[in-house]
Amino acid sequence: MGKKKKRVPSKVWCYYCDREFDDEKILVQHQKAKHFKCHVCHKKLSTAGGMAIHVLQVHKESVTKVPNAKTGRESTDIEIYGMQGIPPDVLAAHYGEEEEAPSKAAKLDIPSTQLVGGLMPGPLGVGYPPQSTLGAVQPMYNAAVPVPPVGWAVPPRPQPWLPLHPAASVPLSAPMGYVQQPLFPVQGVRPPLAVPSTSPSLQPSQIAPPGLPVSAPTLPVSQPLFPVVNNSVPTQSSPFSASLPTSVPEGKGSIEAHSSGSASLTGGAGGNSHSYASGPNTGGPSIGPPPVIANKAPAIQPAVNEVYLVWDDEAMSMEERRMSLAKYQMHDENSQMSSIDAAIDRRILESRLAGRMAF
Amino acid sequence: MSTFGAAAANHNPNKSFEVAQPPSDSVSSLSFSPKANFLIATSWDNQVRCWEISRNGTAVASTPKASITHDQPVLCSTWKDDGMTVFSGGCDKQVKMWPLLSGGQPMTVAMHDAPIKEVAWIPEMNLLATGSWDKTLKYWDTRQSNPVHTQQLPDRCYALTVKYPLMVVGTADRNLIIFNLQNPQNEYKRVTSPLKYQTRCVAAFPDQQGFLVGSIEGRVGVHHLDDGQQGKNFTFKCHRDGSEIYSVNSLNFHPIHHTFATAGSDGAFNFWDKDSKQRLKAMSRCSQPIPCSTFNNDGSIFAYSVCYDWSKGAENHNPSTAKSYIFLHLPQESEVKGKPRVGTSGRK
Repeated sequence: MGKKKKRVPSKVWCYYCDREFDDEKILVQHQKAKHFKCHVCHKKLSTAGGMAIHVLQVHKESVTKVPNAKTGRESTDIEIYGMQGIPPDVLAAHYGEEEEAPSKAAKLDIPSTQLVGGLMPGPLGVGYPPQSTLGAVQPMYNAAVPVPPVGWAVPPRPQPWLPLHPAASVPLSAPMGYVQQPLFPVQGVRPPLAVPSTSPSLQPSQIAPPGLPVSAPTLPVSQPLFPVVNNSVPTQSSPFSASLPTSVPEGKGSIEAHSSGSASLTGGAGGNSHSYASGPNTGGPSIGPPPVIANKAPAIQPAVNEVYLVWDDEAMSMEERRMSLAKYQMHDENSQMSSIDAAIDRRILESRLAGRMAF
Repeated sequence: MSTFGAAAANHNPNKSFEVAQPPSDSVSSLSFSPKANFLIATSWDNQVRCWEISRNGTAVASTPKASITHDQPVLCSTWKDDGMTVFSGGCDKQVKMWPLLSGGQPMTVAMHDAPIKEVAWIPEMNLLATGSWDKTLKYWDTRQSNPVHTQQLPDRCYALTVKYPLMVVGTADRNLIIFNLQNPQNEYKRVTSPLKYQTRCVAAFPDQQGFLVGSIEGRVGVHHLDDGQQGKNFTFKCHRDGSEIYSVNSLNFHPIHHTFATAGSDGAFNFWDKDSKQRLKAMSRCSQPIPCSTFNNDGSIFAYSVCYDWSKGAENHNPSTAKSYIFLHLPQESEVKGKPRVGTSGRK
């Protein structure tokens, strides 16, 4: 990407909601789950534009705003993936907000050096020709040039203000990385710096989320998870278990297991994990709650992070629901039917069902 | 069906051995014979199928042996302890006893008023236990047409596990009824599930000191029976991905090491050690859910099925493209052998 200076952004952050994360992988996961997820079928796409196109083509619905995004960052036209694609002015604004204190100091210096720099060539240029002719000019020349001969007098002059310049006015790319860190405590938004030592909650960071207040019983938090001992395949649970070892020596440490009495976490989860019914309760591809989450990030967000049960029907089991489907019941009257006839009937019904279903 | 190209990676990311001629509809239960490597699979296509599984070193082969048909989808199966006879029950509200190794024909040995969800053979009592959605649990002497005893349950039977004398029944209202089979007519204890969501599966500890319970909310509870051991109870989360929480469909103890496996609607299966509270191994996610799984009699083979379990409703089922698979995984010792908790991991 042509970054000349080695830039260590101390935290990556999400363009859409300004939340910060420890690394880009988590950021991408966050974006896919929060901003690039189809509100109808919950398919996770890879970009906002891709999500909009999916919703349009598959569900015949227009999405104009990125879900859970701050105002001004809701456009689906802008191609963001992780930290890539962020417009430079937004990038600058994000870091600029934390840059204010030192940048002011730097800016003050620049004008003065510019003056100095500006002055130097002047008298030099002026004094030069007279030097060869009038002796009166010589002291001025000498005074103007505490610097050796003209040849390389000029280059050193810009140099004093060169390092200061990028620090302040360049879009704060390289040195910004270093400058940023001491500012975090000033901003007061940096408790997550301490987080890795305590809680491994990456997504529910305490940076002013746009209406996604963090609550302790966030289900993705790995606290009660078994730590991975060995041979851990980086499956879906590994981001959580991987972060555990940073705070806890791997394999050891307090498994915050819930005793059967502690209902807090699961109780809390019960209240909010039904943020939208994705499973069979919807009864159709695009019904019910989805419009709620689509574009009203701050107002109607559920009290905690969106998590939902893939199967959320408490009243019946998967098998019971499956049995209610006519195709499995058709053999009730046909107990004497031969298996071939049954197979043919089943195939006919299946193709009818397939035709009827909106795939 | 047995392609091993790039396309196969999706539904078999763990490179398990694929069983030949799998059922044409989803698999509802898998059972290994207690005596030999015969595998039974029951399916929503009304069939009960049997394969002989043979191992040559690291290679595994499956040979279809026989099958019987029910009138409606079959939901559960179990072997008799002599390894000769199979019991299968399902939506036709019957349990068929199939003496397949002696070449006999199946006959009906149990009936309920609603589909039979679970069946278990209790060798110490020579009885068959059946749990049904008609809210009863019945004990059957297979030679008689009437049940030996009918036990009323508070709600539909969703899960059943037997490890004599411990038997645990999970019902629809999140009750867990514990029986001491030495006194089967009385409930030993009725416990509300430590998990706040619908019970999906239960598994009794091999030492009968307690049981595991899995729910639709990606969580497993470890529950001890003894009052003095209640402090050792805990729950843990599993089979979750980001904001999606999948159901835990199956819990199976390893017969030798007494570690256990969980399988979920996310298509993954994991191996866990409850005593050291560790996950021993996380396997890769398959592209479809795993509704059922089982170990063979010596724990050298772990069979699991990859097919749609209805966790996303009927809308996500496309009968014309849906495929069901049964895979056999040979667990390595490091995956199923319990480990003591160590400060730093003991990686090789």
